[in-house]
Amino acid sequence: MTRRTGVFVCHCGKNIAATVNVKKVAQELAKDEGVFFSEDYVYMCSDPGQGAVIDAIKKNNLDGMVISCCSPNLHEKTFRDASELGGLNGFQCEIANIREQCAWVHKDIGKATEKALKITRAAIKRVQRNQPLEPIGVPVTRRALVVGGGIAGIQAALDLTDAGLDVILVEKQATIGGNMIKLSETFPTLDCSQCILSPKMVAVSKNPKIRLMTQSEVESVSGFVGNFRVRIKTKAQYVDPEQCKICDDCTAVCPVAVPNQFDQGLTNRRAIYIPFAQAIPASFNLDEEACLGLNPVVCGKCEEVCEAGAIDYDRKPTVTEEDVGAIIVATGFDLYGMDKLGEYGAGRYKDVLDGLQFERLCSASGATGGHVLRPSDHRVPKEVVFIQCSGSRDPENHCAYCSKICCMYTAKHATLYKHHVPDGQAYIFYIDIRSGGKGYEEFVQRTMENDGVVYLRGRVSKVYQKDGKLRVLGVDTLTGTNVEIDADMVVLAQAMQPSKGTAEIAKTLKIGRDKDGFLAEAHPKLKPVESVTAGIYLAGAAQGPKDIPETVSQASAAAGKVIALLSKAELAHSPAVARVREPWCTGCEMCVDACPFEAIELVAGKARVNEVLCEGCGSCSGVCVRSAIDVKNVTQLQIHEMISAILA
Amino acid sequence: MVNPKEIRDYAAGLLEQGRVKSVIGYRRGTAGCFAEPCTLTEPGEAGSLVWDPTCLNNLALYLVKDRKQQAASRTPDRRPIGIVAKGCDSRAVAVLLQENYFKREEVVVIGVSCEGTGVVDPRKLKNSLKGRSALKVEFGGGESIRITTRAGESELPAREVLADRCLECREATPKLHDVLFGESLAERGYDAPFRAVKAAEATSGEARWATWQHHFDRCLRCFACRSVCPLCYCPECVVDSTSFVITPQTSAEEKANRIRWCERSANTAESALYHLTRAIHLAGRCVDCGECERVCPVNIPLRLLNTKLEMEAFEQFDYQAGRDYDRPALISSFRDEDPNSFIR
Repeated sequence: MTRRTGVFVCHCGKNIAATVNVKKVAQELAKDEGVFFSEDYVYMCSDPGQGAVIDAIKKNNLDGMVISCCSPNLHEKTFRDASELGGLNGFQCEIANIREQCAWVHKDIGKATEKALKITRAAIKRVQRNQPLEPIGVPVTRRALVVGGGIAGIQAALDLTDAGLDVILVEKQATIGGNMIKLSETFPTLDCSQCILSPKMVAVSKNPKIRLMTQSEVESVSGFVGNFRVRIKTKAQYVDPEQCKICDDCTAVCPVAVPNQFDQGLTNRRAIYIPFAQAIPASFNLDEEACLGLNPVVCGKCEEVCEAGAIDYDRKPTVTEEDVGAIIVATGFDLYGMDKLGEYGAGRYKDVLDGLQFERLCSASGATGGHVLRPSDHRVPKEVVFIQCSGSRDPENHCAYCSKICCMYTAKHATLYKHHVPDGQAYIFYIDIRSGGKGYEEFVQRTMENDGVVYLRGRVSKVYQKDGKLRVLGVDTLTGTNVEIDADMVVLAQAMQPSKGTAEIAKTLKIGRDKDGFLAEAHPKLKPVESVTAGIYLAGAAQGPKDIPETVSQASAAAGKVIALLSKAELAHSPAVARVREPWCTGCEMCVDACPFEAIELVAGKARVNEVLCEGCGSCSGVCVRSAIDVKNVTQLQIHEMISAILA
Repeated sequence: MVNPKEIRDYAAGLLEQGRVKSVIGYRRGTAGCFAEPCTLTEPGEAGSLVWDPTCLNNLALYLVKDRKQQAASRTPDRRPIGIVAKGCDSRAVAVLLQENYFKREEVVVIGVSCEGTGVVDPRKLKNSLKGRSALKVEFGGGESIRITTRAGESELPAREVLADRCLECREATPKLHDVLFGESLAERGYDAPFRAVKAAEATSGEARWATWQHHFDRCLRCFACRSVCPLCYCPECVVDSTSFVITPQTSAEEKANRIRWCERSANTAESALYHLTRAIHLAGRCVDCGECERVCPVNIPLRLLNTKLEMEAFEQFDYQAGRDYDRPALISSFRDEDPNSFIR
């Protein structure tokens, strides 16, 4: 049977037509065997363009369609849908990418035209052997998993429950709240961070639809969009949150003191502790690594004094398996390591702080009860130097990217400092001021004008201790002079980086990361909350540096995506999946090892594909030395003919 | 030194106790002094087993043949088989196990260590005897081989007559075994691993291309290399459309549209494609038993192709086929520490 194939070659305005002789490609292809229709058009993806596809199929009774245009990532679906309207099975329409893979990367019109012809011919060969396929229907689990209990995770979880979905919220730390709960006030309105976040935290704890799992981490994930199975590992809960009365008797007897991470190490806490008074879940926790009592011969004091009997040293870590339909990853950020900025005295001098430590100094619940005092001698600092871009925008030594929020929070720090110490002087070293955002620029201007903060455009070369002060050597590039400031305190606006453990969670969830280690979105513009894996969404600073309003927007957007996904009773799964040619299979299990989706298993010595799990990536086909496994519509025969067409 | 009697007694024991249906080993052949593979089914036959430097064949091939026979049989006999295995034979068995070709309990590996020597290269032996034929070739102890000709007995340093693969052997003692005869020697004073392929790589690209064109031009496409290879067990070889398997499940479409990646005609380009595809399909699987090179009627140095890929597997991925059988197969697995300098 002769296949009747149609071809459309798109100009993409000038995107393709500037480098490829589109008309010639269409005319040449019209002469090819099996091609019954070949035309060029200026914008295939426009409504008339799609209409032309439908008409061509109907008029020429086509059984295959090739659109020679941009990447299939962009418009494969568009043209498959159009083909369906023309009466063709969508899977008999293929895209030949002559934009990204040809026009955009070449200059020579003659050669590029030749290449475009070859790419399209290969696609024609492929489509002539395509089988009509029907999407596979998969039922969905109407529950969601949110990883990370910062503001992003909290917002996403609350939004999801508003739509009636059940949510599992997993947090690594002993409390939710993330980095935001540590902040004193938030720019540009200077409302108290705890005041706006703790009601949301309480809402999480009171919400019957949210299952909150603190001190827990996602251990493994299997399955696929709509039907994930996650294993969550929870640390041993030595203090039962249900029974703990938060009476504080235990901390009075605990002999161990370790740095308190909630205060960024500015204060100490006991091995049995509550992160802060408003912590959710409201319970004391036992720090496994610091506690002596896990060996009852050594200690055990807290258990003795606990009247509620909430402490049990024999608790073991637990592993829970849960089925969810979608996952939102909101694992947040960490500040760039202070140890990496030795030239600023970071980590060496007690009075060189990072941004979050300064927040704890300003915060009423913080280390100094809301007074800005030097950690070294508890005196009020009269001159404070803030250094922006500390670790950011420095591709040679540190992070190449802009951490985006530091300009604003440094301005806020300077303002807060002036509120606490009206007779003090704040200096800010900056490279540029980036204050895009509602009310942001005005806030910076107020900091400069009302609070008399001295902004110095330039970088700091060195910070060292001299006569009880921190001498800051810098340059003011606007006046072209060297600046020396004897400061009482230095605050570094450390770069934001993905939180520790982002690499592991990305690996566990099989989602990508970008060059800086942040979680990668599926498309930088059009899919900013989707990960590359279907059914897994991103929110907050784990995806890239961002401030609170942006984080909340993204969290709500991710929740919206999940709600839309889980609102269907059944999901359509691509039928372009692997198929085993059983007589050739020797059961060597190489495809089983190679499959990233765990979609292949050995049944009676032969590979068997779970079509619902299979994403059609072709890894199996690549490792099978016996070519016993093929992906539908990308068979060996098709590949062979495509290569032959290209080499012809 | 291994006493062949021990092997005979053990094989007879296995058969007597009914632990195996047969034992694959070597017996005295009919072509000169060289041993030939044999399958014993009766304990009384065990006396014919031999073990000396003429036991050239990789016996794992016969396990594969048995497996194919059983698969085709209406009354398959799945009782275990015993196999006399040198280091390289055992590695081949290990890869077959790793690839689930049979189960561990279906094979009893009677390991024999090559100790200080290995097997002889018939061509080298002929050269060193200057045309006289050997009547008997035995292990001489240590790193020597004792050869008996009409002129009498003489001892040769093993280096002079050992097969190339034995000179480069990294594991003369089978790691995978159920019983082991002979000692395991850590140090053998022969060539460094991959010596031949490294020497070949040191020549210019043009020279290498000319050499291989010359070799591929001479290839007869007799497929002896594929037939003798214990790891070339695919029912249909992707480079050979004539071995297309037709079963009741084979659809008309598959019959009509079978792929000819490579034509059968013996011209340089097609032969090159055949050999290169075969080498790639053996990457991370080839155990360097050197059988393909030994049986090649036109002396194409096929080991170079295979050992080149084994060298890459070892140097890039720290993987040795047949030794790392507890790990997932090289080509189907990914580790974070795998080199990825090719991704830019």
